[in-house]
Amino acid sequence: MAPIAQSDRPSESAFVIKFIHSSDLHLGKPFGKFPEDVRVRLRQARAEALVKLGNLARDHAASHILLAGDTFDQTTPAPSVIRQAMNAMRAADHVVWVVMPGNHDHANATELWRQVVQDAPANVVVLLTPAPHDLAQGVVLLPAPPGERRPGRDLTGWFDEVATGEALRIGLAHGSVTDFASSEEGGSSIIPLDRARRSGLAYLGLGDWHGQVSFGADTWYSGAPESDGFKHAKTPAALLVEIAALGAPAKVTSLPTGSICWQRVPLDLTEGDDVPTLHQQILPPLAERALTLFEMQVTGRTTALTRVALEQAAAAVAPDFLSHHADFSGLATVHATDDLDAIDRNGALRAAAEALASDAADPRQTPEARDIAQAALSHLFSYALEA
Amino acid sequence: MKLQSLHLTNVRKFTGKRASITGIGPGITVVSQANEFGKSTFFDAIHALFFEKYSSTAKPVKSLQPYAGGAVEIAAQIETAAGLFRVEKRFMAKKMARILRMPEGVIIAQDDEAERWITDLLGETSVGPAGLLWVRQGVLGLEAETPKDKTQQADTRRDLLTSIAGEIDAMTGGKRMDRVMQRLGQDLAAIATKTGKKTGAWKAAADEAVALAAELASVTAQVETLDSALAERKDTDAALAKLDDPEGKARRAAALIAARTAMDTARAHEGLVTAARQDRDIAALQAKGAEADLTAFLRAIDGLARAETAALLASQTRAAREVEASALKRTVDDATARVVAAQTTVGQARLRLDLARRQTEARKAKARALDLAAQIAKAQQAQNQRDAARARMNAVAATPDWLAGVEAAASDFAKRETAHEAQSAVLSVAYSGAARLSLDGVAISGDSPVVLGALAQIDLPGIGQMTLRTQAPAADGAALLAKAAKRLADLLALCGVKTLAEARSAAAARTEAAGRADLAQAVLNTLAPKGIDALTAAMAEATLAAAEAQDDPLPGIADLEQDLTTALSDEAKTTQTQARTAADHALAREAAIKAAAQAEAAVTDLDRARAAAGVDATREARRADLLRRDAQTAETLTQTEAALTALIASAPDLATSTAELNRAEAAVNGVSQQRAQQGERLAALSAQIRTLAGHGIEERRDDLRGQLETATATEVRFARKFAALTRLNQALEAERTAAQDTYFGPVHEELKPLLAILHRDAALSFDRDNLLPSGLTRGQTEETLENLSGGTKEQIAILTRLAFARLFARQGRHMPIVLDDALVFSDDDRIIKMFTALTRAAQDQQILVFSCRQLAFQDLGGARPVVEISET
Repeated sequence: MAPIAQSDRPSESAFVIKFIHSSDLHLGKPFGKFPEDVRVRLRQARAEALVKLGNLARDHAASHILLAGDTFDQTTPAPSVIRQAMNAMRAADHVVWVVMPGNHDHANATELWRQVVQDAPANVVVLLTPAPHDLAQGVVLLPAPPGERRPGRDLTGWFDEVATGEALRIGLAHGSVTDFASSEEGGSSIIPLDRARRSGLAYLGLGDWHGQVSFGADTWYSGAPESDGFKHAKTPAALLVEIAALGAPAKVTSLPTGSICWQRVPLDLTEGDDVPTLHQQILPPLAERALTLFEMQVTGRTTALTRVALEQAAAAVAPDFLSHHADFSGLATVHATDDLDAIDRNGALRAAAEALASDAADPRQTPEARDIAQAALSHLFSYALEA
Repeated sequence: MKLQSLHLTNVRKFTGKRASITGIGPGITVVSQANEFGKSTFFDAIHALFFEKYSSTAKPVKSLQPYAGGAVEIAAQIETAAGLFRVEKRFMAKKMARILRMPEGVIIAQDDEAERWITDLLGETSVGPAGLLWVRQGVLGLEAETPKDKTQQADTRRDLLTSIAGEIDAMTGGKRMDRVMQRLGQDLAAIATKTGKKTGAWKAAADEAVALAAELASVTAQVETLDSALAERKDTDAALAKLDDPEGKARRAAALIAARTAMDTARAHEGLVTAARQDRDIAALQAKGAEADLTAFLRAIDGLARAETAALLASQTRAAREVEASALKRTVDDATARVVAAQTTVGQARLRLDLARRQTEARKAKARALDLAAQIAKAQQAQNQRDAARARMNAVAATPDWLAGVEAAASDFAKRETAHEAQSAVLSVAYSGAARLSLDGVAISGDSPVVLGALAQIDLPGIGQMTLRTQAPAADGAALLAKAAKRLADLLALCGVKTLAEARSAAAARTEAAGRADLAQAVLNTLAPKGIDALTAAMAEATLAAAEAQDDPLPGIADLEQDLTTALSDEAKTTQTQARTAADHALAREAAIKAAAQAEAAVTDLDRARAAAGVDATREARRADLLRRDAQTAETLTQTEAALTALIASAPDLATSTAELNRAEAAVNGVSQQRAQQGERLAALSAQIRTLAGHGIEERRDDLRGQLETATATEVRFARKFAALTRLNQALEAERTAAQDTYFGPVHEELKPLLAILHRDAALSFDRDNLLPSGLTRGQTEETLENLSGGTKEQIAILTRLAFARLFARQGRHMPIVLDDALVFSDDDRIIKMFTALTRAAQDQQILVFSCRQLAFQDLGGARPVVEISET
């Protein structure tokens, strides 16, 4: 597709170029692990991310939105996903959308890109090949689209060699950089950290890493505009990049975009803790819970009664959240005589409780047998407290 | 608690009276009174005192009120660990309850406070000791006997269970345990059946996981198909691009043009070769024709000479053969004449022989006819003699059998006549004159005596009639005699004779005639064994054969036969000679015909050869012409063959040109075909890709993976929950069972010595649900309670209560055992043992026994309280 003439696009004259950098929208991601209502909400949030990006571009007078890969979650998403994405871009016609493939929607996903090209409005540019693209007058975009899921090589290498005259050079790539232990999917690290400097780039926009992070002033991962997991603690955001002149440093501003909060919170307990208070402290404000996927990972040690109380408290607040999960697998239970009194002071109930507690703490038992005994004891606590 | 005294005022049958039992001992106390004394009234009163609220109007309380009504007052003095007390209750009217400390008589609690005091005394359970330890009249056993008993016993059992429930609670967790077990059961039932099969949410999660896995597999397969299709489409696109490469296309087109040009050149040269080959073939045919004409001509010349020679030879041969045939014809005719003459001679000899033979036979027949005539005459004579003898024989009927019958009849008559004469009067008359006497009208001859009958009328001529009466002979003598006489006369009459002598003479004559007839017949049989007619026929035949007989002398037959033989031999010889000469003639005739045919054929051949050789005058000219033509055509053939060889040698290789063209065309067509195929495949792949991609199957696959992970995790969670709940259930059941065992331990311990009094080495087993004895083990045999005798059951019931009471005592809760008319089913031996058991238990246990069996319970021992009834 031919680049769109930039003269018609809004741009503040003070800047050579001002654009929004984003990536990893993963449109069409199913989130199958979640119940249907949560899935619908998560997919809806991702679709709405396009609208938010368009709004940010308008609000900040950006001429372009550069999507650094993984706009789509699969190589053959449902036609409706593509069509609706293109429709959203069409609606934001005040900005030019530059769409580059990522590893999820790599350039060899022919059917995907065939339909994208077919459905794309005039303000959408699809860059499927590693060739310079005139982004604006005097500004050249060097894309490095992956041709497959795991390219296994540095796709930005050609940036060094390509001549672009006196134009300002902006790089756009998808993959991990060398100082990452791994990419978002655990692949090998490829893109050199000093690619921007080596290739004379004013800015290198990267995709793949879902959290926002920079490597110097000129190399940025924008992160996904909507989170899709508990991995990244930062609020999802896009980047507003402003370059005033050839040779001037890029001014990068993070603009929050996320609407759904993925919160994984550890709760490490020791005996004697004021567990109800600690539990309350880690909970987000009530108003935010409806849009929060909350995962509480309880670790440490506590008494059985406290554990049951915490389980009940967690169960009580669960309906507040879009999704709530409490993981007690890391919590060891201490069985105190007083706790067992809650079940019964003597008799068969007490004897059964003691037998289970003994098994749960018996190192001669298999871990599975101990776990089962512990779970059985927890149930007994619950029943006894009800009784 | 131990009872010391009981006091009833206006209770049931003690209307307006006060009944007291005092002097109740700490061990056994026997209240032995006659029926209708009111023992059950005391029992029910004790029960109401301790277990019915003073304010109650329940049926047990109402039943205590006498018909006359009024307040029912019950009091008991009891000893507890805290001292002596008096418990008083008034029911139905002016209701009250109070506890007094004795002997001071100080009231320590009243009404509700008094009830609480009693409850504290008895423990939490209000009916425990009563149900467990107190036995009402008629419900000793643990098994129902009548509907009423069944109801009462059920109540008792319920009381018993209730009473001990508190104790079990302490060990088994009681209702709290029940609620826990109930909740556990609910949670377990929600996810698994009793056999551990998944159900409810667990099964739903498992089913969902299975369904999701299946769908995931299906979708994954579709994704793989899509990936494969995408990869293939990519390859197909690349292949199409290669096929559409312009350089390759131009190369293939140029090759095709060059191949076609080469092919055209090769085909043109091939036409020249074909024409030269045709010229050569025509020249060859012409040369061959000229050579054939020349050869035919030369052969015709030679053939004419041979035909002329052959015709001459054939003509000569024909003539010679005809001469030979004529000579042989004459020889044949001579032989034929000799044959005819020989045949005539044979005929004449055969005729003479036949005539001689017929004359000989005629003469023999004539002699035989004469012999037969004589024989017939003799036979005729014998036949006549026979017939005459037979006529004589047949004229006399006196056969030997007849004569024998006559002889017998004469003998019988003679016997009977002699007998008759011996018994009858016999009249013998010797006439002297003419006058004759007649008897019964028959004149008496006087020749012989006349036998008279019993009454004989004799006419005496001139005198009159004389009747003679004689002594009657045998009545049937005369009749028999007459019958014998008649029989004799009848037999004689058959042959027309009158006397026996005549009979004998006639018989002899008949025998003689028969002999003669037989002799004549024998002669006839000899002369004419087949009858005279057969002889006559034979004679007629002989006479006919002798018709030609002559008297002339006859020639010898042998000579005539020799003549015939000689003639036949001559005939054979002449015939043979004639046949041989005829054959020779036939051969000669055939040779003559053949020679004639050959002569004619030779003439025909000669004519044909002459025609072929032509006219003599033109033969040389024709020979020269034919030789010239042959040379010319041979030359032409040589020239055309040389031209053909030259063209073939210079021809391009058409097969190579064809192969080259085919290859070039195949390359072009192949590319076109491949392109079409690839294009079709590309279209098909694109359609498949769009169909699969259009359904968002990758997204669906990822979605299913997530859902499957969640469903699997859910299933695992349920499995863990099931394992935990099952483990909990096992723990609780184990502990409850252990607790129950713990509970029954002391019971068994208390029961053991008591049970041993009745049954050595016996043990009771308990039902864990209703906590009642369920079976008795004696030795190696275990019997259910239902199968035990009534006496044994009531004994076990009492012993069980004793054991429970001792358990209460060991807990510091001394409770009296109250028995109302117990042991009604026990025999004398067992009742004594039960007394021993009761006495043993009574060492530290109060037992109050009400009984109407005064005599039987005398041996129980124990205290005998004072029972007083007085007016109020």
